[in-house]
Amino acid sequence: MSKWSMPAVVAAVCISLFVALPSAAQAQSGSAADYDPPRTPDGQPDLQGIWQALNTAAWDIQDHRPSAGVPAGQGVVDGNEIPYQPWALAQKQENYENRSTADPNLQCYLPGVPRITYMPYPFQILQFSDRILILYEYVHASRTVYMDGSRHPEGHIDFWMGDSRGRWEGDTLVVDVIHFNDRTWFDRAGNFHSAALHVVERYTPTGPDHLRYEVTIEDPEVFTRPWTMSMPLYRRQEAGVQLLEYECYAYSEEELAADK
Amino acid sequence: MSRRCIRAAVAAATFVAMAWLAPQPVGPGAAGQFLAVVEAAGPGGGSGAGGGQEADLPRTADGHPDMQGYWDGGPGNASHSIEDGCCDPIHARMQSRGPDRLGLPFQLIIDPPDGRIPYRQWAADKRVEFLFDMETPTELSHIDPEDRCLLNGVPRSNYRGDIEIRQNGSHVVMLYEWAHAYRVVPMDGRPHIGADIALFNGDSRGRWEGDTLVVDVTNFNDVPWLDSHGSFYSEQLHVVERWRLLDADTLRYEATIEDPAVFTQPWTLAFDMGRVGGEGYEFFEEACWEGVTNRRRLAAGRIAVANGERFMHTHEDPQQ
Repeated sequence: MSKWSMPAVVAAVCISLFVALPSAAQAQSGSAADYDPPRTPDGQPDLQGIWQALNTAAWDIQDHRPSAGVPAGQGVVDGNEIPYQPWALAQKQENYENRSTADPNLQCYLPGVPRITYMPYPFQILQFSDRILILYEYVHASRTVYMDGSRHPEGHIDFWMGDSRGRWEGDTLVVDVIHFNDRTWFDRAGNFHSAALHVVERYTPTGPDHLRYEVTIEDPEVFTRPWTMSMPLYRRQEAGVQLLEYECYAYSEEELAADK
Repeated sequence: MSRRCIRAAVAAATFVAMAWLAPQPVGPGAAGQFLAVVEAAGPGGGSGAGGGQEADLPRTADGHPDMQGYWDGGPGNASHSIEDGCCDPIHARMQSRGPDRLGLPFQLIIDPPDGRIPYRQWAADKRVEFLFDMETPTELSHIDPEDRCLLNGVPRSNYRGDIEIRQNGSHVVMLYEWAHAYRVVPMDGRPHIGADIALFNGDSRGRWEGDTLVVDVTNFNDVPWLDSHGSFYSEQLHVVERWRLLDADTLRYEATIEDPAVFTQPWTLAFDMGRVGGEGYEFFEEACWEGVTNRRRLAAGRIAVANGERFMHTHEDPQQ
């Protein structure tokens, strides 16, 4: 078994025992129009809580067959096609061949957006009047989504997690993210981007315990056109559930430090 | 708020102002002044223990003091040494600030009064070993965990750099600029997580005692240090933090530290924070692990030890 797959498999199996198992209609079609979410005291749709994806996108965002330690998976890319430019498709294939060592995620680096969302670790949304915090258990990644109408800072800035500015479109939280570096992948399968990456995330409550998560990916240096992913996110249900810590590099620090 | 409380608060404020303006005391004895300030304020007069309500503080919609915003964290070189980093001239020079500009009229450790960590003997000996090993590290465990980008734990996170506080009724969140660390403090009275779960930043539970935010922190692992001088603790660590606005722009922080395996008694450190940043100020991502390297430091340490070079970390000035 390859060293990177087992913990994630175990985590995914364990989580599947605990997350709300939705009806297909609730999670998949997610007709937001039918659902009126609770509100925060200042009237925002209340998306607060601890959430987690339940899919195999962290290994491969596209359809994939099973392999050692990796479950088969139905992709999260709409239409399953990623419109790479020719040179970029060759690069992706090279990444795929070298994935067991080349994935930056193996160095415990911040995973970027949207990969952080569908890694097999929970994250917490906390809302305030002028900002939304998205805090992730994985390597204590944290994002502040500014909701005050402020603009992205002047750039370019090489952030691992980008710069996030949000707004409400109806009950959907729309987050515009730019200022990425070119050092993260979308998955273990080698899907990648450049520093010109522009991500738009849409978080829509579709029921008390589900969000529909839709992502538009735009990167004119790598892709021929924008493309999208979508997936449900599930509210963690366990009594008393909270974020803990996964300090990735602390558990293989000796080995990782030797390479740096 | 009674007139008596107001008088006490004014007296305390005057005392603090005088202490700030006066020549800065250094070393043992300075703590006495701070304790005197606390006593002058008296119960309910802002000591933090009495749970009184101050009239003029900014408040959130639910009536609690509004501590939200950006704060500068603990003073000077506290993260380098909580015993010496505040007030001695050598540490002051390390940060290019004269001892008269340290920002605090008292030492960081206010109890015990001598300002030193009350180690058990075995722990004091182990700490000296750390002070040797850090100069010629041959293993990662010889290097300050902060230099390895490991979470700084509590209370160290609070004197390592700027802090952003957010409150929304159900939670208080501390965001630390250093290494994008954060703590989520539930305010709903839920019990701590199971005792077998050990975390770098521990498990925080908050409550309001009057205008004081009290955070009880347990479930620590024993990896972080309290400062770069190898000040350490065990998994028995229990920290009680008290966060209290003295005025709209001054936040007093106190942490009582208890660990019967390592210390002979509970002890307390305290400092005041001020606001940082202006309109539109934001933290930027500080990706620590992604850029750190300790490989060369270890290689140098191993060569030095092989050559029989081993010496204790000190700030004594070779010029003197």
